[in-house]
Amino acid sequence: MMWQSGGPSGGKAGALSGWSRRQHQTAYWMISPAVIAMLLVHYIPMLWGFYISLHDVNLFTMADWMHAPFIGLRNFVDGFNPSTTTGARALRALLNITVYSAVTISVGYLIGLAVALLLNQQFWGRTFVRGLILLPYITPDSVAYKIWTFIFQSRIGILNRYLLQWGLAAEPPIWLIGPAALWAVVVASVWKGWPFSALILLAALQKIPQDLYEAARVDGAAAWQQFRWITIPHLQSVTVTLLLMSILWNFNAFNQFYVMLGRDPGVAAEVPSTLILREAFTNLRYGVGSALSIILMLVLLVVTVVYLRVLRATAGAEEV
Amino acid sequence: MRRCLRAIAMLVFLLGILTSMTSGATREITFWVMPNAPQDTHTAWLESRIEEFRKETGITVHYEIVGWGDAWNRLVAAITSGEGADVVQVGTTWNPQLAAMKGLAKLDVAEYGGTGAFMPANYESATYKGAAYGVPWFAETRCLFYNTDHFAEAKVKPPETYAELMEVGEALVKARGAGTAIAIAGNQAWDLLHNWAIILWAFGGNLISPDFKKATFNGPEGAQAMNWYVDLVRTGLASKACAEYNQPNADAAFINGNVSMAFLGPWNVAGIMHDNPSLNYDIVEPPAGPKGRAAFSGGSNLAILAASKKQADAKAWIKYLIRKDTLISYTKDLTHMLPATKEAFADPFFSVGVNRAFKAALEYATAYPPLGVWGSIENDITGEFKAIFTDHVTGQLGPNGVQHHLDIAAQRVDASLKNER
Repeated sequence: MMWQSGGPSGGKAGALSGWSRRQHQTAYWMISPAVIAMLLVHYIPMLWGFYISLHDVNLFTMADWMHAPFIGLRNFVDGFNPSTTTGARALRALLNITVYSAVTISVGYLIGLAVALLLNQQFWGRTFVRGLILLPYITPDSVAYKIWTFIFQSRIGILNRYLLQWGLAAEPPIWLIGPAALWAVVVASVWKGWPFSALILLAALQKIPQDLYEAARVDGAAAWQQFRWITIPHLQSVTVTLLLMSILWNFNAFNQFYVMLGRDPGVAAEVPSTLILREAFTNLRYGVGSALSIILMLVLLVVTVVYLRVLRATAGAEEV
Repeated sequence: MRRCLRAIAMLVFLLGILTSMTSGATREITFWVMPNAPQDTHTAWLESRIEEFRKETGITVHYEIVGWGDAWNRLVAAITSGEGADVVQVGTTWNPQLAAMKGLAKLDVAEYGGTGAFMPANYESATYKGAAYGVPWFAETRCLFYNTDHFAEAKVKPPETYAELMEVGEALVKARGAGTAIAIAGNQAWDLLHNWAIILWAFGGNLISPDFKKATFNGPEGAQAMNWYVDLVRTGLASKACAEYNQPNADAAFINGNVSMAFLGPWNVAGIMHDNPSLNYDIVEPPAGPKGRAAFSGGSNLAILAASKKQADAKAWIKYLIRKDTLISYTKDLTHMLPATKEAFADPFFSVGVNRAFKAALEYATAYPPLGVWGSIENDITGEFKAIFTDHVTGQLGPNGVQHHLDIAAQRVDASLKNER
């Protein structure tokens, strides 16, 4: 707010404040398209979603949904009451997505880190391999997950063919139904997601000054000690961002479940996004669907805040 | 005076221009249609007929082929926004739901030939609370397709009853191996209910009570019908893999010659001609249960969106599409569906060859009750149907498992029925 301190008698300060004001104005003009776009695409629909969650918007009222009856928090109660089908499914969906995210993110991160460390070495054809590992990531979700569906199909899937051929299964297991379905999606998601982690971690690895490693070697540090005390601390900021993004993406996971398991993946593989889609657009209970969406958003908000606070506290403690 | 004459002449000139502009203004409507036939033949047919209609009426029709997967959301969006299309194709089970949303225009069926002009079950599907909100376009029902080569190899005849189907299936399994007798849709199918409902009806059960107040499918007949369906997998007539099939997977298993029987529809005839023309097969009516034969009447209706400002032109297009010659051409030459008007259905083509069984089945086919909440009810039943398959596959379906899941579904359906207004 420097421009406020200037006045008509400000002289040089007045000139500076004028320049500063213009600079602020330019900045506002430049960010305004993005702000307007976010308002239109994100915030206004979110407000409508909140409005719908408090109203009885369903098959019979949706044609004039602006005048649907106000029902307070009933959609939230219906959506999370464990004695109702939707409520029980919603709670199970939150559990499923937590398990899915925990496994997918951690395994994806570890594979990505291992590959990044390998690709950070000098070897012939490194650039080609770097490009090659991106292939799963750039494959469209619909294509990649459909292929995984074929791989896991009981009768014609390649996985079962090998399991039977190698004597690891007596009869073809069913992968896309029941509890196994969640793990089939986890495998496909890890395959699809780890290249992104590898790429980001590789970029961070390449920024670590090599003289740190040279100094450590001179001091007699073993490879593990170099990794623990140089590599890991230098990857921390990237890891924080990467994990945060992964948490947000994975909690909102939809494509992989929809493509591999269909609109109704069953209780054991239900996730919030498929449940919300079904409640809102198949069962036409838009109010309940909106309430579930808002709760999912709040859960993600809490997870993000807690995650960042814990990290900040950990970083602060390490600095002390 | 001269000035006055000049002013009048100018006025006449301007009026003339305005009149010519008005008379030259094109009358246009938009039509959303599903992919009822292969894209190339479908578009060629539509374009030629649209041109013929334009010559007859001066109305230009802009069409868009909307996939079944997107159609529901597109229709709902069109209803809420009041924009998108004038005439739409709607599935028979969607018609009452869209009417309940107040999204479709109420129609005077007398303008289209009266209620007697249509197959009764199809007309019922176009109604909501007694009024028509659509016009039946084409009908379909599912019959039993069987591979004549496989049947000859196993020395069996097509089954007349569901009990016989099991016996025939066992003979086929002996001749050709486990899981090859029949393909059925499983957990990835959205239309599971269509396959089960015909068995339920044949066993004497009903989906809901006649007053639409209570679920009735969880009675002894329902449990018997469900056990019969699951037994196809349980006894090895169908592959266990069917539990994860959708309907196209089951269709493909039959069309490729991998299995000997499947419950398929008239659209599959075109699929067989396209994908495996050398397949030797025949079609018979659905087998009879203890209470006789039953069939599901599906298909599509034509409706006008309530928000359309071109109701008269939209009606003209619907009348053109259900006209005898147009409808026979659309069904006979293109889609292999069956016409929903009695006049077109009387064409001899639909009484011979593979159409015989469909025609016979449609005579007694039943439509689902025309309820606004039907979508919810269908999901309630299908959800538990899938849970039964899942429990069977994971070995958790105990002796009372089927009844337990049917009871859960019935509770949900009862709750859904209470929401009907």
